[in-house]
Amino acid sequence: MTLTFDEVLKRPKRGNIDEALVELKRLLKDKVSTKPADLFSYSHDYWLITFHWLLKGEVPALPDAVIFPESEEDVVNAVRVAHEKGVPLYPYGGGSGVLGATVPEYGGIVVDLKRLRDLRLYEDDLMVEAGAGVNGYYIEEYLNRRGYTLGHFPQSLYPSTVGGWVATKAIGQFSTRYGGIEDMVLGLRAVIPPGKLIELKPHPRTATGPDLRKLFVGSEGIFGIMTRVWLKVRPYPEERFLLSFASESLEEALDSVRRILHRGARPAVVRIYDRVETKRHFYKFEELYGKIGTVIIVEGDSRLARAEKEIVEREFRGVPAGEEPVRHWLKTRFNVKEISEFAPIGVVIDTIEVAVNWSRAAELYENVIRAMKSVKGTLMASAHASHFYDQGVCFYFTFAGVPPKGRSAEEFYNAVWDAAMRATLDSGGTISHHHGIGRHRRRWLAEELGDAYEVLRKIKLAIDEKDVMNPGNMVM
Amino acid sequence: MPGKWDWLKDEIGFSNLLTGGRMIFKVVQGKLSADDLTKCALCSNMCRHACPVSIVEGRETTSPAGKARIALMIREERIELNLDNLEPLYTCLGCDLCTPYCPFEFSVADLIRPVKEEAVNMGVVFEEFREVFENLETSGDVYGNTDSGADGSGKVLYFRGCTVRNERPELAEKTLTLLEKLGYEAFTISETCCGLPAYNLGNTELFKKVAKRTAERLNAAGAELIVTSCPSCAYTFRVLYPKYGIKLKPQVLHITELLGEVIGGLKLKAAEAVTYHNPCKLAVHLGRRGLLKSLLENVEGLEIREPRRELFCCGHGGSAVSRLKPELAEEIAAERREQLRDGAARVVTACPSCELALNGDGLEVIDIVEFLLERMEE
Ligand SMILES: Cc1cc2nc3c(=O)[nH]c(=O)nc-3n(C[C@H](O)[C@H](O)[C@H](O)COP(=O)(O)OP(=O)(O)OC[C@H]3O[C@@H](n4cnc5c(N)ncnc54)[C@H](O)[C@@H]3O)c2cc1C
Repeated sequence: MTLTFDEVLKRPKRGNIDEALVELKRLLKDKVSTKPADLFSYSHDYWLITFHWLLKGEVPALPDAVIFPESEEDVVNAVRVAHEKGVPLYPYGGGSGVLGATVPEYGGIVVDLKRLRDLRLYEDDLMVEAGAGVNGYYIEEYLNRRGYTLGHFPQSLYPSTVGGWVATKAIGQFSTRYGGIEDMVLGLRAVIPPGKLIELKPHPRTATGPDLRKLFVGSEGIFGIMTRVWLKVRPYPEERFLLSFASESLEEALDSVRRILHRGARPAVVRIYDRVETKRHFYKFEELYGKIGTVIIVEGDSRLARAEKEIVEREFRGVPAGEEPVRHWLKTRFNVKEISEFAPIGVVIDTIEVAVNWSRAAELYENVIRAMKSVKGTLMASAHASHFYDQGVCFYFTFAGVPPKGRSAEEFYNAVWDAAMRATLDSGGTISHHHGIGRHRRRWLAEELGDAYEVLRKIKLAIDEKDVMNPGNMVM
Repeated sequence: MPGKWDWLKDEIGFSNLLTGGRMIFKVVQGKLSADDLTKCALCSNMCRHACPVSIVEGRETTSPAGKARIALMIREERIELNLDNLEPLYTCLGCDLCTPYCPFEFSVADLIRPVKEEAVNMGVVFEEFREVFENLETSGDVYGNTDSGADGSGKVLYFRGCTVRNERPELAEKTLTLLEKLGYEAFTISETCCGLPAYNLGNTELFKKVAKRTAERLNAAGAELIVTSCPSCAYTFRVLYPKYGIKLKPQVLHITELLGEVIGGLKLKAAEAVTYHNPCKLAVHLGRRGLLKSLLENVEGLEIREPRRELFCCGHGGSAVSRLKPELAEEIAAERREQLRDGAARVVTACPSCELALNGDGLEVIDIVEFLLERMEE
C-alpha cells in the first residue's frame, strides 16, 4: 500500500466518483472538501506503520473527498449517493484507531462525523444521548459537571469519539467495574445502504429477536454509519480507594485477581505489570522494582466500595505498596510519547492486545513474549494485564525493535505481529481484545472465526450489497 | 533509586547493543532525537479535546497534530506552500490550551510558526491579512486609525491597546476611574499597537518593527509602571519583547495583576451569581490561571459558579481565525457561551476581545474593571 501522493491519485477508481462528487456537492455544499490538505489528513489513522511510511513521504491511500455532515440527513444523503454510484465511504471518528480501519484503501469518500456532537442527559433513566462525533473527554466533562460519569476511559479518551468507541468495541481503563462500551450501549441510530436511517431504541432490555445493537458494536464501519448512540451513565463515585501490591510472580498476581473477581468484588481498575513494565512505569517505587506490580482502584458507593476494598486486601497475595504508585499511574496514564520519540529514528514500536481464559493466561503470556522476541530485530517485548473478567484476562503487549539489515520496517513489523498472532491462537486466545481488526489484522480473522467468518461476510453483503461501506476493512 | 531507563538497559541487554539497541540508547541519552514538529506530527492528538478549533470545527486537518502534519509536509516540500495548504495552519487560535496535555509541553502555535514565517517571506499571504499588515505599517494600529490622543505624563501609564481604543473606549474611561479610586494617577499617551497581530500572523519582521516603535514611545513617556486592559498586550510586552531583544523600561502589569495586589483592602459586596471566563493570554501565557477567580472571591456575598470548562478560547484569539474564518470564530464563541451558561448568565472576564466575542445570546459579559467599579459604587 505504500505509494507516493501522485501514484495514489493515479490509481484506478471504484465506482463513479465524479458523478458522486457532483451530487454530493449539490446536496452537502461546502461540507464537501477536495482540498489536498484534507485528503492528506485523512490518508491514515493511528496505525503505526502508516507513520513510518509518512515519514518516508509515502501515503497509504488518499480519499477523493472528505465530507463533514452536520445532520443525519447529510449522512443519509452521503450513503445514498455512495450506494447509487458504487463509491466507497469510510466513517471517521477521531482517527485514533490503531489498525488502519479508516485508511481509504480504495479511494472514495471519508465521512468525518465530529460535527455530530449534540448531547442530552436523561437523569431519571441514567442515560445520555450523544451524537456519534462527540469527543470522549467532552462527554465525560459534560457528565461530571452534572454529577455523573460514563466510566469509560480508554487511553485514547482525549482523541477518540463516541461513535468510534462503539464501532471498535472499545474499552476503558476502569472496565473491570464498568465494562466495555458494549455494556454501556442502550440504543443507536445508524444509516445503512442504500441510504436508510434505522433506530434501535434505548430500552432497558428487549427480547425482540437477536440483539441488533450488537451487530454495530465492533462493526468498524462495514455495515453503516452510526449517527447517534444512547449510553448508560452512573452517578459519580462517592468514594475511591487506591491500592497497590508487589508480587513475586505473574501467576500469583493473576490468581489473586481471579479470586477477588470470583468472590464478586468489582474493582474499577486492575492492572498487573510484568517485571519489565513494572520497572518501566514504577521505577521510582523501590518496593515494586524488580517485582510484578499491580495497581487497583476500588470505587463507587462508599459502603459497597469499602466492602470491596476489604475483599481485595484479603485475597491479594503480595506485599501492599500503598497509594502512591496508583496516584502515579493516574497522573501519567494519558502520557503517550514513545511513538513520537522512537518512530522518527526508525525504531518500530507497537502494542498488541489479546484475551484468554484464566486457565491458559500465564501460558499465553509466556508464548507471546517468546514469539515476539524470536523475531530478528526485536529488542524488547513486555506486557501488562489490563482488563479482567470472571472468565479471564486481557494482555496488552508492547514490542520495540529495529529492522535488521535488508528488512524494511513493514516486513519487520509484520513478522512480529505474525509471531504474536500465531502464538495467541495456539495458546487458545483471541487475536483482539479491544483494538479490533481494521486493515492490519484482517489476515488473521478467518482463522480465528473459522466457519463463522463466512457468516460475517454474508451479513456484510446482505446489508451492503455493493460493498461501499469501508470496503476491505475487517472482511475481504 | 533506579533511573528512568534502567529497565531498558536490563531488557535490551549487552548483546543487542551491537545491533539496533545502540539507536535506542542514543535516543535515551538525548544524542538522537527527532525535531519537535515531527514529534508532534506523530502524536495521536492527545490534546485534541482541549483545542477549541478541534472541538468545534471537528476537522482532522486542523486538529493540533493535524496542523503539525501539514506543516511538516510543507516544510519537507511534500505538499506545496500555497494558501490552500496554509489555511489549516492559520486555523489556530494561539491559545496554547494544547500545551498542558502535551507530554513534551509543546505549543502547536510555536511549532508551526516557522512555516508561516516562511510563507510571509515568500509573499504567500492571505488577502485578509494584508490589510492588517498595511494598517500596522502605516498607522501602527490594527484598525488603521491613528490615535490622536494627547501624551500625558506621570508614574503609571495606562496602555489601552487597539481593541479598547477602537471598540471599547468606555472601558478605558472606567479603568482610569478605577485606577484613580485606587490612588493611582494614571495617564495615557497616543498609542501604537504592541505588534502581536503581526507576530501571530507570521510576520515576525513587521512585529519587530512595530514593537520597536511602540517600545520607544513607551520608554519616552517616562512611566515606572505600565498597566494594560488587554492581557495580550501585557504578554507581548513582558514575554515577546525580551525574547526579541526589545527593551521596555517600565514594569508591565495587566490590570488584574495590579488589582490582585490591592483588592484585599477594598470593601466589595454583591448579592448575585456570576461565572468567569479566563482569557487564555492571562491564564495560560501569563500563568495567572487562578487570578480572575480570586479577585471575585474578594467580593462579599458573591456566588461564583464554575463554568463547565475552566479554559476555552473565546474564538477570537490568535488574530487569524476571526479574519479568515469569521463563522468558525463565532461558532467557537457560541460553544463557549454554552459552557459558560452552565455556570451563570452573568460572566466576568478580563480581556476586551473576549468580552466583545462572548457578549450576547442571553449572556451578559462584563470586564472585571466594570464589575468591581459597580461593586464599589453600591
Ligand atoms: C494512544 C492510544 C490509546 C488507545 N487506548 C485505547 C484503549 O484504552 N481502549 C481501546 O479500546 N482503544 C484504545 N485505542 C484505540 C482507539 O482509540 C479506539 O479504537 C477508539 O475507539 C477509536 O475511536 P475513534 O473515534 O478514534 O475511531 P476511528 O479511528 O476514527 O475509527 C475506528 C473505526 O470505527 C469506524 N467508525 C468510527 N466512527 C464511526 C461511526 N460513527 N459509525 C460507524 N463506524 C464508525 C471507522 O470507520 C473505523 O473502522 C487507543 C488508541 C491510541 C492511539
